[in-house]
Amino acid sequence: MHSPFHPDYNPLIRKIESAHTLTGDERQALETLPMQVQVIKADQDIVREGDRPSRSCLLLSGFTCTYKITAGGKRQIVSFNIPGDIPDLQSLHLKVLDNSVATISQCRVGFVTHEDLRNLCARHPRITSAFWRETLIDAAIFREWVTNVGRREGVSRMAHVLCELLVRLRAVDLVEDHACDLPITQSEFADALGFTTVHVNRVLQQMRTDGLIVTQGSRLNIPDWEKLKQVGEFDPTYLHLENDQAAA
Amino acid sequence: MTLTLHPIRVATGFDEEGMLVLDEEERLVAVLVRLSDENEVAPGQWYLEAGFGRLEGIDRPTFSSLDMARDWIGQRLSRT
Repeated sequence: MHSPFHPDYNPLIRKIESAHTLTGDERQALETLPMQVQVIKADQDIVREGDRPSRSCLLLSGFTCTYKITAGGKRQIVSFNIPGDIPDLQSLHLKVLDNSVATISQCRVGFVTHEDLRNLCARHPRITSAFWRETLIDAAIFREWVTNVGRREGVSRMAHVLCELLVRLRAVDLVEDHACDLPITQSEFADALGFTTVHVNRVLQQMRTDGLIVTQGSRLNIPDWEKLKQVGEFDPTYLHLENDQAAA
Repeated sequence: MTLTLHPIRVATGFDEEGMLVLDEEERLVAVLVRLSDENEVAPGQWYLEAGFGRLEGIDRPTFSSLDMARDWIGQRLSRT
Protein backbone atom coordinates (compact mmCIF):
# COMPACT_ATOMS: atom_id res chain seq x y z
CA MET A 1 0.00 0.00 0.00
CA HIS A 2 1.33 3.44 -0.90
CA SER A 3 1.24 6.19 1.67
CA PRO A 4 -0.98 9.23 0.94
CA PHE A 5 2.20 11.21 0.31
CA HIS A 6 3.50 8.89 -2.39
CA PRO A 7 2.95 10.27 -5.92
CA ASP A 8 1.44 6.93 -7.01
CA TYR A 9 -1.06 6.86 -4.18
CA ASN A 10 -4.44 6.34 -5.81
CA PRO A 11 -7.22 6.99 -3.32
CA LEU A 12 -9.82 5.42 -5.61
CA ILE A 13 -8.03 2.05 -5.47
CA ARG A 14 -7.58 2.46 -1.72
CA LYS A 15 -11.29 3.17 -1.34
CA ILE A 16 -12.46 0.28 -3.51
CA GLU A 17 -10.04 -2.09 -1.76
CA SER A 18 -11.56 -1.19 1.58
CA ALA A 19 -14.60 -3.24 0.48
CA HIS A 20 -13.46 -5.43 -2.46
CA THR A 21 -10.42 -7.56 -3.11
CA LEU A 22 -9.22 -6.56 -6.56
CA THR A 23 -7.61 -9.04 -8.94
CA GLY A 24 -4.32 -8.08 -10.57
CA ASP A 25 -6.14 -7.28 -13.83
CA GLU A 26 -8.69 -5.07 -12.12
CA ARG A 27 -6.03 -3.24 -10.18
CA GLN A 28 -4.01 -2.64 -13.33
CA ALA A 29 -7.11 -1.41 -15.19
CA LEU A 30 -7.69 1.17 -12.45
CA GLU A 31 -4.03 2.14 -12.28
CA THR A 32 -3.85 2.71 -16.03
CA LEU A 33 -7.23 4.43 -16.35
CA PRO A 34 -6.54 7.44 -18.61
CA MET A 35 -6.87 10.56 -16.54
CA GLN A 36 -6.26 14.24 -17.16
CA VAL A 37 -4.90 15.52 -13.88
CA GLN A 38 -5.42 19.18 -12.98
CA VAL A 39 -4.63 21.22 -9.92
CA ILE A 40 -7.57 23.48 -9.09
CA LYS A 41 -7.31 26.23 -6.49
CA ALA A 42 -9.73 26.61 -3.61
CA ASP A 43 -13.31 27.88 -4.02
CA GLN A 44 -13.68 27.09 -7.73
CA ASP A 45 -16.56 25.27 -9.36
CA ILE A 46 -15.51 22.01 -11.04
CA VAL A 47 -18.95 21.35 -12.53
CA ARG A 48 -22.18 23.32 -12.29
CA GLU A 49 -25.85 22.47 -12.07
CA GLY A 50 -27.22 22.21 -15.62
CA ASP A 51 -23.92 21.04 -17.13
CA ARG A 52 -23.90 18.08 -19.51
CA PRO A 53 -20.46 16.63 -18.78
CA SER A 54 -18.66 14.11 -20.98
CA ARG A 55 -16.27 13.20 -18.15
CA SER A 56 -16.29 12.63 -14.41
CA CYS A 57 -13.83 13.86 -11.83
CA LEU A 58 -11.90 11.71 -9.40
CA LEU A 59 -10.68 13.64 -6.40
CA LEU A 60 -7.01 12.75 -5.86
CA SER A 61 -6.22 15.22 -3.09
CA GLY A 62 -8.01 18.03 -1.27
CA PHE A 63 -11.64 18.55 -0.35
CA THR A 64 -14.65 19.46 -2.49
CA CYS A 65 -18.33 19.93 -1.73
CA THR A 66 -21.50 19.07 -3.60
CA TYR A 67 -24.03 21.88 -3.38
CA LYS A 68 -27.26 23.42 -4.62
CA ILE A 69 -28.42 27.05 -4.57
CA THR A 70 -31.92 28.36 -3.85
CA ALA A 71 -33.61 31.00 -6.00
CA GLY A 72 -32.72 33.51 -3.26
CA GLY A 73 -29.02 32.69 -3.60
CA LYS A 74 -28.62 30.61 -0.45
CA ARG A 75 -26.22 27.72 -0.78
CA GLN A 76 -26.86 24.29 0.72
CA ILE A 77 -23.84 21.99 0.80
CA VAL A 78 -25.28 18.47 0.60
CA SER A 79 -22.03 16.56 1.07
CA PHE A 80 -18.30 16.93 1.52
CA ASN A 81 -16.12 14.96 -0.90
CA ILE A 82 -12.72 13.56 0.04
CA PRO A 83 -9.89 11.87 -1.91
CA GLY A 84 -11.09 8.72 -3.66
CA ASP A 85 -14.56 10.13 -4.28
CA ILE A 86 -15.99 10.68 -7.77
CA PRO A 87 -18.55 13.33 -6.84
CA ASP A 88 -20.13 13.52 -10.31
CA LEU A 89 -20.03 9.83 -11.19
CA GLN A 90 -23.80 9.97 -11.71
CA SER A 91 -23.25 12.03 -14.87
CA LEU A 92 -22.13 8.79 -16.52
CA HIS A 93 -25.83 7.83 -16.64
CA LEU A 94 -27.73 11.07 -15.91
CA LYS A 95 -27.22 13.54 -18.76
CA VAL A 96 -27.85 16.81 -16.93
CA LEU A 97 -26.20 17.57 -13.59
CA ASP A 98 -28.69 18.56 -10.89
CA ASN A 99 -26.02 19.84 -8.52
CA SER A 100 -22.71 21.69 -8.55
CA VAL A 101 -19.33 20.58 -7.22
CA ALA A 102 -16.77 23.11 -5.96
CA THR A 103 -13.32 22.89 -4.41
CA ILE A 104 -12.98 23.74 -0.73
CA SER A 105 -9.19 23.58 -0.63
CA GLN A 106 -6.68 23.36 -3.47
CA CYS A 107 -7.37 20.01 -5.14
CA ARG A 108 -5.76 17.57 -7.53
CA VAL A 109 -8.51 16.26 -9.72
CA GLY A 110 -8.29 13.47 -12.29
CA PHE A 111 -10.79 13.86 -15.15
CA VAL A 112 -11.81 10.56 -16.72
CA THR A 113 -13.91 10.57 -19.89
CA HIS A 114 -17.23 8.77 -19.79
CA GLU A 115 -16.05 6.71 -22.74
CA ASP A 116 -13.07 5.41 -20.75
CA LEU A 117 -15.30 4.75 -17.74
CA ARG A 118 -17.75 2.81 -19.93
CA ASN A 119 -14.91 0.73 -21.36
CA LEU A 120 -13.59 0.03 -17.87
CA CYS A 121 -17.02 -1.06 -16.67
CA ALA A 122 -17.69 -3.21 -19.76
CA ARG A 123 -14.42 -5.09 -19.26
CA HIS A 124 -14.55 -5.40 -15.50
CA PRO A 125 -18.04 -6.14 -14.13
CA ARG A 126 -16.74 -6.29 -10.55
CA ILE A 127 -15.52 -2.70 -10.89
CA THR A 128 -19.00 -1.77 -12.17
CA SER A 129 -20.40 -3.36 -9.01
CA ALA A 130 -17.94 -1.41 -6.88
CA PHE A 131 -19.02 1.88 -8.53
CA TRP A 132 -22.67 0.97 -8.10
CA ARG A 133 -22.02 0.22 -4.45
CA GLU A 134 -20.30 3.59 -4.02
CA THR A 135 -23.32 5.46 -5.43
CA LEU A 136 -25.60 3.52 -3.08
CA ILE A 137 -23.44 4.58 -0.16
CA ASP A 138 -23.57 8.18 -1.43
CA ALA A 139 -27.37 7.91 -1.21
CA ALA A 140 -27.07 6.52 2.33
CA ILE A 141 -24.92 9.52 3.25
CA PHE A 142 -27.54 11.91 1.84
CA ARG A 143 -30.27 10.17 3.89
CA GLU A 144 -28.14 10.54 6.98
CA TRP A 145 -27.55 14.25 6.25
CA VAL A 146 -31.27 14.96 5.84
CA THR A 147 -31.86 13.36 9.23
CA ASN A 148 -28.94 15.19 10.80
CA VAL A 149 -29.74 18.65 9.45
CA GLY A 150 -33.47 18.25 9.96
CA ARG A 151 -33.54 16.72 13.42
CA ARG A 152 -30.31 17.19 15.39
CA GLU A 153 -29.39 20.43 17.10
CA GLY A 154 -26.23 22.48 17.60
CA VAL A 155 -23.29 20.54 18.96
CA SER A 156 -24.84 17.17 18.11
CA ARG A 157 -25.32 18.12 14.44
CA MET A 158 -21.73 19.32 14.10
CA ALA A 159 -20.34 16.32 16.03
CA HIS A 160 -22.13 13.93 13.69
CA VAL A 161 -20.58 15.44 10.56
CA LEU A 162 -17.11 15.52 12.14
CA CYS A 163 -17.45 11.82 13.07
CA GLU A 164 -18.47 10.98 9.50
CA LEU A 165 -15.53 12.89 8.01
CA LEU A 166 -13.05 11.21 10.33
CA VAL A 167 -14.31 7.71 9.52
CA ARG A 168 -14.35 8.35 5.76
CA LEU A 169 -10.87 9.93 5.84
CA ARG A 170 -9.56 6.97 7.82
CA ALA A 171 -10.78 4.60 5.07
CA VAL A 172 -8.41 6.33 2.63
CA ASP A 173 -5.50 6.54 5.09
CA LEU A 174 -5.81 10.27 5.77
CA VAL A 175 -6.15 10.04 9.56
CA GLU A 176 -3.37 9.68 12.10
CA ASP A 177 -4.68 8.44 15.43
CA HIS A 178 -7.73 10.69 15.71
CA ALA A 179 -6.31 13.71 13.89
CA CYS A 180 -6.69 14.88 10.30
CA ASP A 181 -6.41 17.91 8.04
CA LEU A 182 -9.83 19.49 7.67
CA PRO A 183 -9.68 22.69 5.60
CA ILE A 184 -13.44 23.34 5.84
CA THR A 185 -14.19 26.94 6.90
CA GLN A 186 -16.86 27.98 9.40
CA SER A 187 -18.82 29.53 6.55
CA GLU A 188 -18.76 26.21 4.66
CA PHE A 189 -19.89 24.35 7.78
CA ALA A 190 -22.72 26.88 8.05
CA ASP A 191 -23.84 26.10 4.49
CA ALA A 192 -23.62 22.37 5.16
CA LEU A 193 -25.39 22.34 8.52
CA GLY A 194 -28.04 24.99 7.92
CA PHE A 195 -26.57 27.23 10.64
CA THR A 196 -25.46 30.84 10.50
CA THR A 197 -21.69 31.35 10.76
CA VAL A 198 -22.31 32.96 14.17
CA HIS A 199 -23.97 29.75 15.34
CA VAL A 200 -21.20 27.57 13.88
CA ASN A 201 -18.66 29.61 15.81
CA ARG A 202 -20.59 29.25 19.05
CA VAL A 203 -20.91 25.50 18.51
CA LEU A 204 -17.20 25.05 17.79
CA GLN A 205 -16.23 27.14 20.82
CA GLN A 206 -18.56 25.07 22.98
CA MET A 207 -17.03 21.85 21.60
CA ARG A 208 -13.50 23.13 22.32
CA THR A 209 -14.51 24.06 25.89
CA ASP A 210 -16.09 20.63 26.39
CA GLY A 211 -12.91 18.91 25.19
CA LEU A 212 -14.64 17.33 22.17
CA ILE A 213 -12.28 18.83 19.60
CA VAL A 214 -8.89 20.51 19.46
CA THR A 215 -8.22 22.67 16.42
CA GLN A 216 -5.03 24.27 15.20
CA GLY A 217 -5.28 25.96 11.82
CA SER A 218 -6.91 23.38 9.57
CA ARG A 219 -5.79 20.50 11.79
CA LEU A 220 -8.54 18.74 13.72
CA ASN A 221 -7.80 16.48 16.65
CA ILE A 222 -10.43 14.46 18.47
CA PRO A 223 -9.17 13.73 21.98
CA ASP A 224 -12.12 11.57 23.05
CA TRP A 225 -13.56 9.67 20.07
CA GLU A 226 -16.15 7.73 22.08
CA LYS A 227 -17.50 10.95 23.60
CA LEU A 228 -17.75 12.68 20.22
CA LYS A 229 -19.61 9.68 18.74
CA GLN A 230 -22.01 9.73 21.69
CA VAL A 231 -22.68 13.47 21.40
CA GLY A 232 -23.20 13.16 17.62
CA GLU A 233 -25.36 10.01 17.98
CA PHE A 234 -22.99 8.61 15.38
CA ASP A 235 -23.42 5.03 14.17
CA PRO A 236 -21.16 4.33 11.14
CA THR A 237 -23.41 1.57 9.74
CA TYR A 238 -24.65 3.86 6.92
CA LEU A 239 -21.09 4.19 5.59
CA HIS A 240 -21.03 0.40 5.03
CA LEU A 241 -17.32 0.03 5.62
CA GLU A 242 -16.24 -3.58 5.46
CA ASN A 243 -13.20 -3.00 7.59
CA ASP A 244 -14.33 -2.73 11.22
CA GLN A 245 -11.13 -0.95 12.14
CA ALA A 246 -12.21 1.99 10.04
CA ALA A 247 -15.06 2.74 12.40
CA ALA A 248 -12.96 2.51 15.55
CA MET B 1 -42.34 52.02 11.98
CA THR B 2 -41.41 52.75 15.57
CA LEU B 3 -39.80 49.85 17.35
CA THR B 4 -39.24 49.57 21.08
CA LEU B 5 -36.22 47.87 22.61
CA HIS B 6 -36.16 46.11 25.98
CA PRO B 7 -32.88 44.80 27.39
CA ILE B 8 -32.98 41.17 28.43
CA ARG B 9 -30.47 38.59 29.59
CA VAL B 10 -29.99 35.65 27.25
CA ALA B 11 -28.64 32.19 28.05
CA THR B 12 -26.52 31.67 24.94
CA GLY B 13 -23.75 30.15 27.04
CA PHE B 14 -21.53 33.17 26.40
CA ASP B 15 -21.08 36.58 27.94
CA GLU B 16 -23.74 38.19 25.79
CA GLU B 17 -26.59 40.62 26.36
CA GLY B 18 -29.85 40.68 24.46
CA MET B 19 -32.57 43.03 23.37
CA LEU B 20 -36.24 42.28 22.77
CA VAL B 21 -37.60 44.20 19.77
CA LEU B 22 -41.31 45.07 19.94
CA ASP B 23 -43.47 46.68 17.28
CA GLU B 24 -46.02 49.49 17.74
CA GLU B 25 -48.58 47.04 19.06
CA GLU B 26 -46.14 45.67 21.66
CA ARG B 27 -45.69 42.41 19.76
CA LEU B 28 -42.32 40.66 19.89
CA VAL B 29 -40.81 40.74 16.39
CA ALA B 30 -37.16 39.92 17.05
CA VAL B 31 -34.46 39.14 19.58
CA LEU B 32 -31.09 40.81 19.06
CA VAL B 33 -27.96 39.64 20.84
CA ARG B 34 -24.72 41.57 21.20
CA LEU B 35 -22.15 38.88 20.46
CA SER B 36 -19.36 38.20 22.88
CA ASP B 37 -15.95 39.69 22.10
CA GLU B 38 -14.71 36.09 21.95
CA ASN B 39 -16.95 35.32 18.98
CA GLU B 40 -14.57 34.72 16.05
CA VAL B 41 -17.05 35.62 13.30
CA ALA B 42 -18.55 38.95 14.39
CA PRO B 43 -17.19 39.95 17.82
CA GLY B 44 -19.19 42.68 19.52
CA GLN B 45 -21.75 42.91 16.72
CA TRP B 46 -25.51 42.78 17.11
CA TYR B 47 -26.90 39.51 15.77
CA LEU B 48 -30.49 38.77 14.79
CA GLU B 49 -30.80 35.77 17.09
CA ALA B 50 -34.46 35.17 16.31
CA GLY B 51 -37.11 36.75 14.13
CA PHE B 52 -40.86 36.21 14.12
CA GLY B 53 -43.51 36.55 11.45
CA ARG B 54 -41.99 38.41 8.51
CA LEU B 55 -38.54 38.10 10.02
CA GLU B 56 -38.73 34.34 10.22
CA GLY B 57 -36.72 32.09 7.93
CA ILE B 58 -34.54 34.82 6.45
CA ASP B 59 -30.77 35.19 6.59
CA ARG B 60 -29.81 36.36 10.02
CA PRO B 61 -27.39 39.23 9.63
CA THR B 62 -25.10 40.95 12.10
CA PHE B 63 -24.99 44.73 12.60
CA SER B 64 -22.26 47.03 13.87
CA SER B 65 -24.71 49.07 15.95
CA LEU B 66 -28.09 48.72 17.57
CA ASP B 67 -29.43 51.64 15.48
CA MET B 68 -28.50 49.85 12.25
CA ALA B 69 -30.21 46.70 13.47
CA ARG B 70 -33.35 48.63 14.39
CA ASP B 71 -33.46 50.43 11.02
CA TRP B 72 -33.04 47.19 9.11
CA ILE B 73 -35.80 45.43 11.05
CA GLY B 74 -38.09 48.46 10.60
CA GLN B 75 -37.53 48.42 6.83
CA ARG B 76 -38.20 44.70 6.62
CA LEU B 77 -41.46 45.03 8.53
CA SER B 78 -42.63 48.06 6.52
CA ARG B 79 -42.27 46.32 3.16
CA THR B 80 -45.58 45.58 1.54
